[in-house]
Amino acid sequence: MSEYVAPLRDIQFVLKELAGLDQVAQLPGYEDATVDLVDAVLDEAAKFAEGVLSPLNIPGDREGAKWSANGSANGDGPGVTMPAGFKEAYALFAESGWTALQSDPEWGGQGLPKLVGAAVTEMWKSANHAFSLCPLLTGGAAEALSLCGSDTLKKTFLEKMTSGVWTGTMNLTEPQAGSDLSAIRSRAEPQADGSFRIFGQKIFITYGDHDMAENIVHLVLARTPTAPEGVKGISMFVVPKFLVNADGSLGARNDAWCVSIEHKLGIHASPTAVMAFGDHGGAVGYLVGEENRGLEYMFIMMNAARFGVGLEGVAACERAYQRARDYARDRIQCVETGVRGGPRVPIIRHPDVRRMLMSMRAHAEATRALAYVVGAAHDVATRHPDTATRRRNQAFVDLMIPVVKGWSTEVGIQVASTGIQVHGGMGFIEETGAAQYLRDARISAIYEGTTGIQANDLIGRKMAREGGATLNALIEEMRALDADLGQASGEHFAAIHRRFAAGVEALAEAGRWIVDTYGVDVRAASAGATPFLMLLGIVAGGWQMARAALIAQAKIDAGDTDPFYQDKIVTARFFADHILSQADGLADCITFGAPGVMALDEDRF
Amino acid sequence: MPILVIAEHDNAVLKPATRNAISAATQIGGDIDVLVAGSACAAVAEAAARIAGVTRVRLVDAAHYADHGAENLAALVVANAPGYSHVLAPATAAGKNFLPRVAALLDVAQISDIVAVVSTDTFVRPIYAGNALATVQSVDPVKVISVRGTAFEAAGEASPVSVEALAAGPDLGLSRLVGRELTQSARPELTAARVIVSGGRALGSSDNFHSVLEPLADALGAAVGASRAAVDAGYAPNDYQVGQTGKIVAPDLYVAVGISGAIQHLAGMKDSKVIVAINKDPEAPIFQVADYGLVGDLFDVAPALAAALR
Amino acid sequence: MKILVPVKRVVDYNVKVRVKSDGSGIDLANVKMSMNPFDEVAIEEAVRLKEAGIATEVVAVSAGLANSQETLRTALALGADRAILIETDVELQPLAVAKLLKAVCEKESPQLVIPGKQAIDDDSNQTGQMLAALLGWPQATFASKLVVNADKTAAAVTREIDGGLETIEIALPAVMTTDLRLNEPRYATLPNIMKAKKKPLETTTPAALGVDVAPRLKTLKVAEPARRSGGVKVADVAELVEKLKNEAKVI
Repeated sequence: MSEYVAPLRDIQFVLKELAGLDQVAQLPGYEDATVDLVDAVLDEAAKFAEGVLSPLNIPGDREGAKWSANGSANGDGPGVTMPAGFKEAYALFAESGWTALQSDPEWGGQGLPKLVGAAVTEMWKSANHAFSLCPLLTGGAAEALSLCGSDTLKKTFLEKMTSGVWTGTMNLTEPQAGSDLSAIRSRAEPQADGSFRIFGQKIFITYGDHDMAENIVHLVLARTPTAPEGVKGISMFVVPKFLVNADGSLGARNDAWCVSIEHKLGIHASPTAVMAFGDHGGAVGYLVGEENRGLEYMFIMMNAARFGVGLEGVAACERAYQRARDYARDRIQCVETGVRGGPRVPIIRHPDVRRMLMSMRAHAEATRALAYVVGAAHDVATRHPDTATRRRNQAFVDLMIPVVKGWSTEVGIQVASTGIQVHGGMGFIEETGAAQYLRDARISAIYEGTTGIQANDLIGRKMAREGGATLNALIEEMRALDADLGQASGEHFAAIHRRFAAGVEALAEAGRWIVDTYGVDVRAASAGATPFLMLLGIVAGGWQMARAALIAQAKIDAGDTDPFYQDKIVTARFFADHILSQADGLADCITFGAPGVMALDEDRF
Repeated sequence: MPILVIAEHDNAVLKPATRNAISAATQIGGDIDVLVAGSACAAVAEAAARIAGVTRVRLVDAAHYADHGAENLAALVVANAPGYSHVLAPATAAGKNFLPRVAALLDVAQISDIVAVVSTDTFVRPIYAGNALATVQSVDPVKVISVRGTAFEAAGEASPVSVEALAAGPDLGLSRLVGRELTQSARPELTAARVIVSGGRALGSSDNFHSVLEPLADALGAAVGASRAAVDAGYAPNDYQVGQTGKIVAPDLYVAVGISGAIQHLAGMKDSKVIVAINKDPEAPIFQVADYGLVGDLFDVAPALAAALR
Repeated sequence: MKILVPVKRVVDYNVKVRVKSDGSGIDLANVKMSMNPFDEVAIEEAVRLKEAGIATEVVAVSAGLANSQETLRTALALGADRAILIETDVELQPLAVAKLLKAVCEKESPQLVIPGKQAIDDDSNQTGQMLAALLGWPQATFASKLVVNADKTAAAVTREIDGGLETIEIALPAVMTTDLRLNEPRYATLPNIMKAKKKPLETTTPAALGVDVAPRLKTLKVAEPARRSGGVKVADVAELVEKLKNEAKVI
């Protein structure tokens, strides 16, 4: 039996030692986020994740969200019924205040840092990926409203969304407009009272309908009649499932219906809705901010959402690792390698199984460390009193969001797949539970922008546009750490130093090539975009693991006997030899590989 | 100095756990007095007088001991404790209820749930839910001890010793029994059961599942469980399922009948104290975790086992 | 009426403990600690009584190392109004804890003390009974249901006993120890975790309370129980029954 146990020891280590919780708690407005309070929050979140969300993960997957033609609350139209237990779990989740963790205190939020939110979100996602999406989307929608919406809109919606009584969605995609949002066709017709009538169909709307909350606040991208073509003509509208009366009570049912849900590879408990707006006269919508700036607003929540999805990669690694580890300890097959005869042993004794488990563990720790460090930088970038410090941290966050999103989720898929491999044939059997992690993890590298979209964002907007300045600053920071590694003694540090030094130089070389090539041959640079994203992920992950190892060594030198620190050094060494060692190959693939990508004529495929 | 053992009874019948406590007292060594406190409980005192190892029985018969309320009983024991080196009681719900009161009033530690006697002042007791065994030594003049019954033999019969009446203590009037609701012989709940009989796909049908397993479960006072294979095949209802996706159980005795031992099933029951496997396939993985394996046709073995236990 | 709830910081119930190789005890280094589960039930019952308007104040108390504060903060997050920590690094045994609690009761004068029936580390199941005895109060152990009388001078408690349930009526003040079926503890809410930080937590010591907490039991060694000796095959039903009766002693 493998039940999810929140990895609090590593989470706390990363928060305190790598991400600088202490410094974050000194930022204006975050004074409450002291170490003991955060420990208490994490403890309770772990209890909730383990006790409420995790037990629903497998049943939710098997039962799935169900759509029916008369599935709405009063049977007057189509609607979605959640799997057994989700409604109650969500109610408890909201009552417990978890929806409000990072939200603005003005609307009833607790205003805790993103760093703390990251740790808690990871737990929700490890425990129950499908469930976690509802609060993730609600938080993103509320953030966009609070930053861009009018006071009236904020007053009407934010308190209820913060408390989780109402949930939120992001309505971007249309059948012809997936990754290319410039092709959006949904219409918004202005009305005499200042509102709009929305018409159009949206697809892939996560939690577009469900029975866990009394209202759903859709943020919908659509075009007004006077809007210009392309991305500059898209506006954002609030379209609530139920209209809200002046006194805050719920009014008429809006013309926004979930007309079906998708049958998916994974996250079966998360309803992915096809939404029809305005099929019965027009859905009432309210403009958010100014006309034609919708995409810009959407990107506010997109960045938060991309970071959140990146945590899904961390969460998948952790959950898959735990199950595989538990299985490998229990499963007895074959005698010890290199021993003739003798008893059969648990498979965790076999070197290849051990290699797989170490790889899973190292990836979980490295993706976590990187994501939390980026989360902390976000907090500094938004709250630090010094402008230059804010700007420097924002640049780092902007550079790394595509990496946290793209690299962590790709790694999550790989680790979930390795988890199945550890189980052997049993891993391929659904009942074992390992397969669900792979099915669920698969979407993370797709939604909120595929890995390719992240990689193009990375090399274009985040690197080429500024001549690689932020990347170069990061590389300098890495080189400084490498100097420290060179001073550390012992075989493990020698190995980490060797691989990290090579990795940083590979990154520098490939980064230079990308920046130089982007202006002259953007197609060649783009052919190397995803390998570059993976390269940056690996080296940045190795950077954090190396930092962790040095901190662990300092603790050991100071007399701390916690075996956690010894384990951390070994895991960092594994990461260096087995994962960082791929950096050279990736760099070659970027700098030499474009011709092989682009040379074949299209009709030769 | 003699040892005092507090008898557990319902005023009519002496509870068998008393015999295990007497057996522990015998291992400590010395004269053993048994205190029977109750109301109209002379028959209990006579039964106690016939237990091997007992030196004498002391009987206190008064209405305010009828319900064995902790306050009155503890006060009585404390009043009669002088002269004893040890005070023992079974580590049952009743013993656990009053004995710590005795220890506190005597200003001594209690040694709970002992499973072995090392010497007159040193005992072994489980801690951390039995995941560790602590050997503890008492420095107090009187050792107040609760005895885990399963760790000591029940003391046998011998020729009767004398029963001597003791004066009752006062009725403290601190609490009053309103009523008792004792469970009838319905089968125990799976996760709380001390014994579980579990069946697998080898039973072949729903009818067989019930007709073969239930008599065995009745004979053992056991709950009935099933493997996923048996549940999937419709032989047993869903809530019978023991295993990774069913119930996790850790009874004292788990009897797996016709269960091959898929990993998912083992995950649900491998913490059972004693596992018995009955299977006709000698290579079935269930035998790797079973304390006692019996290779044979379950349709012969299970009824024979039920008959032998009845 | 005021309720006092003693809480203990113990190894989390999910942790599989390891015996130290030198046999001196359990390896507690870096092990996850939590509130004793029976104490969570106790806090829950007290908070429910307060929510029902029966109790006026819930005071959580813990004795032990300074980090027992974390457990008290959890109690505060679950709804206790204030907390008292009796700080000491002496190994506390049930009799000593009962004496400390008696001293606290004499200062606080609660109408009801609700300890858990046992701590899941030492499994003693003594403290509540000992406290009741030292105070000369009635006790109701292993409670699965509590009904406080309208005038708050008495309570009816249903107790889990061998073979079923019994209901007793006890005069207040009294000590009631919890069993798991008394209630299902809530999860602490995030706002309450935040507020708990600001609730009063008073620290005192055994010396200040005038209590001698010297241990009365010496732990000579701690060992792992014998491992399962798997895979013994028996020849027939008779041998199986014999083994179950005389070797395993489970029937």
